[in-house]
Order: sequence, then structure tokens, then C-alpha cells
Amino acid sequence: MASPQQAKPLNELVHDARAPLNRISMNAELIKLVLENDMPKDKALAALDKIIANCQACSDSLQLISESK
Amino acid sequence: MLNILLVDDDVEFSDVICHIVEFLGHNINTATSLKEAHQWFENNTFDHVLLDFMLPDGSGLHLLDHLKMIGQSPKVTLISGHPSVKGILADMCEPNVSHLLKPLQREDLELVLNGPKKTVKKAKSAAITHHFDTLIGESAPMQQLYTMIERVAKTNANVMLMGESGVGKEVVAQAIHNASKCEGPLVASNCGALSKELIGSELFGHEKGAFTGAIARKDGVFEQADGGTLFLDEVTEMPIDMQPNLLRVLETKKVTRVGGNRELPVNCRVISATNRSLTDLAQNNILREDIYFRLAVFPIDIPPLRDRKEDIALLAKSFLGQLNDENGTAFAWANEQLKELETYEWPGNVRELRHAIHRAFIMSDPQTSTISLPDNLESPFSRVNTQPEDKQVSAGQTIEEVEKELIHATLDKVQGNKTLAAQMLGISTKTLYNRLNAYGGIGEYK
Repeated sequence: MASPQQAKPLNELVHDARAPLNRISMNAELIKLVLENDMPKDKALAALDKIIANCQACSDSLQLISESK
Repeated sequence: MLNILLVDDDVEFSDVICHIVEFLGHNINTATSLKEAHQWFENNTFDHVLLDFMLPDGSGLHLLDHLKMIGQSPKVTLISGHPSVKGILADMCEPNVSHLLKPLQREDLELVLNGPKKTVKKAKSAAITHHFDTLIGESAPMQQLYTMIERVAKTNANVMLMGESGVGKEVVAQAIHNASKCEGPLVASNCGALSKELIGSELFGHEKGAFTGAIARKDGVFEQADGGTLFLDEVTEMPIDMQPNLLRVLETKKVTRVGGNRELPVNCRVISATNRSLTDLAQNNILREDIYFRLAVFPIDIPPLRDRKEDIALLAKSFLGQLNDENGTAFAWANEQLKELETYEWPGNVRELRHAIHRAFIMSDPQTSTISLPDNLESPFSRVNTQPEDKQVSAGQTIEEVEKELIHATLDKVQGNKTLAAQMLGISTKTLYNRLNAYGGIGEYK
């Protein structure tokens, strides 16, 4: 039996995969700002943690897409 | 500063956007649904709405309808992950609505919030003509210089550039090199900066083991400039006993590396430069006559800046434009400031002008667009350079007059400190006071 995620149409699955990519992109931009402007590095470290977590989330979403075929 | 509302159900994304938008200098509030967005608009107005297309309780387009209904018309940027949304927006023909595609980039956000970067200043500085890609100035002396550069560039004649310090001799050398369209490089070497021991190796190269420390073979600047131009700056500072070697290369067009026994052909134009006058060269045995005629087949006098004051404004605009481009600023000159620059004599020439502008640029308030010129444009060097002529001893002066001048010059040098001045003059402070009393000049240094 298909899981609720797998029952989603493809466009929604793609939307779900794009969301973590979007977070990764904006967190990377935030790190650039921190480095370019000598801001406290804890903001950059937090953003890096979020990038790592979202890479995993994106990978999970792609896995679901591949399984939905 | 804009008041912005971000409507997006992705809390983590909203959080990071808030950081970035606040850094860009704007206020931002967030809503995670259409319902929350409506609530924000009940008691607030916003300049810009960043709006996710797909929200939990409907489409972002519904908020556009709501805004029309309540009579508010902020700029709206729809954010979506699907390129087809752009087509939908084009069909709507809403002038206030733009679209950004996820994943976003900071430049995209800056563009929709701040508009395109102003490029007016860039266009202005670009409008200044750079003759031969390097030289700035439209005055009559510069037009004459351009004509000479054009004529000599077509030949392979050696050129000697003469002019005061700071007039831009290396820039003129670059202009001749550019105009000659030769294939080889422009190689510059400063003869005044090289020690007597190293100058041979620098100019002619050396073979491995030619002297202690010669661990590998080295090409000299004549070889490096093969097919191009060799610029010998401060050529008159070359030790006179090295000059026969240079003469030999210029005459035979062949060079032998230090420690080598093979003659190598030389194929480059030599442009030399000096800030000494022709009289100085002739009278003081600085440059051998035979070398002078080899180097100065085509001598060019570069005019000092005070003889082309109409170019000062152009140069000032160009230098400021460069600094603006490098630093992302938009400083501009006021007409009175350009006139003030034109009234000064610039004894240090274009180099002094450039440094004065750089200093003024650093001192200017980045919150304004007007550059702040210092009250006094003079540099300590310009004072030193202009004073000696006035202070020279000449026949017909009395000893008393010379002594008085010397005392005053010393006091000026030490800002009126009489103890220090007396020490420098080798007299007691009491004697200094007595002399000043006798000359009636003590009041100036109280």
C-alpha cells in the first residue's frame, strides 16, 4: 500500500523537494552576508546547520519522487 | 527604508528572509497564511508584500483581490517555485506585481526591493576620453603630446620622456606602447631603484653561477621586452660606469648576459624617462652624451599639470569615478570644488592630484554624496619643493639678510620652537632671542 507521501501528485512532490533547496539557498546567502560584514559567526554556524538538515530533507524528497514512478 | 510583509507558510524560509531583508535596511513582518495577512492589513499599511503563491488556505492571488477590495496598492512580489506563474502574472497585466522564482538569491531580493542599481555616475566617468586607452586631457599641450605619440608610435625610434616628477611618464610610455600596436609586452624597470651590483643582471640577465646567489639563469629586461617596449624609468640615476654597457646594447642591438659569452639579439623599443632638465644633464655629467643621443632619438616633454589646468576637472572626475567604482559609492564634485582644485599649482603634478583626491575620498562622509576637500591642499613635499628657490643665497645679499632668512626658515621648520631652533642653528637660545630682537621679528614667533 502506498504511503500518504507517495500518493501525492508529482508536482506536489517536486514542490516539496524545492522547498529545502530554497532554504539552503537563502541560508547560504545569509552566511555570505555574515562573512562579508564581520557579523557574529553564530548566525553563520546556525545557518550551516540548517543547510545540512535541508540537504537531508531534499534527499528524502528526491527519494520519494523516485519511488513514486 | 521599506515596510515589508512576507506571506509564506515555510517558517524556516521566512526566518532567514527576515535576517537578510533587515540587513538590507528594511522593516519586515511575517504571516504564514492568507488569514494572518488579512489581519496585518486591518491596522497596517505596507510598501511591499513578498507573497508565496501556494498558501495553506488558498492562493497568493486571493490576497491581491483582497488588497484591491480594501483599497491598498503596495508593490507585490509573488514567490513561487514554478516558472508557469510568470505567464499567469503577464496575463494579469498588474503593473505593481512582479515575480521571483525559487530558489531565491539575495541579488533578486535586492533588485525587487531597491530597484536596479544606479549607473548614472558610471556613465559620467565613462564619458571621459582615455587617449590611447590611458591618457586623460583635452588641453592644447596634451593635444600636442598626442600628436607626438602618434607620430613616434609608427616608428621604432627610442624615446626619452622628460618632465617633472608626477606628470605621468610611465602612463605616456604605456600610451606609446599601446599606439605602436606591437606584439611584445611593455616591460618597466626603474634604474634608480637598483643597486650598482644588480643593475647589470636586471638589464642584461645572467647565467647560472655568474656570481654568488645566481642559482639559475635569468633573462634581463631587454630579453623580456622582446618584440615590445622596454621602459627605463629614472635612467639618469644609472651609475655612470654602467652606462657604457647600456650604450653597447643600444648600438649593437645585442645583449650578453652577465657571466655569459653568447650575444643575443635585442628587438625592442626603449622608452627612457627622467625628471632632470636638459641643462642638468649637460652640466652635471649625469648622462653620457653618446647615451643621450641613443636614448633621446625622439625626446618628449610632458607638460606639468599647472600648464594644463583645464584638464584638472577631467582628471578629478576620472579619479573620483574610479574610486566610486571600486568602493560602490556615488560621490560627486561640486563645481566650486573643481574650481578650487584648478586654483592650486600642483607642484607634485597628477600624482599629487590623485593622492589629494584619494585622501578627500577617505575623509568624506559615506552618508552624503558630496566629497569633502581639505582646507589646505598643500602636501609637505610641495612646500619643500617650492621653497628652496626663494631661500637660495644670491650674490648681493648681506650676511645679516642671509642669517635672518636662515633663522626664520629654521623657526618655521620647528613650528616656532626657539629651543629646538637654537639647537639646530648651533647657537644658544639667548643668542637666538637677541638676533630676533635685533631683526624685529620676535613677535612672529611668540
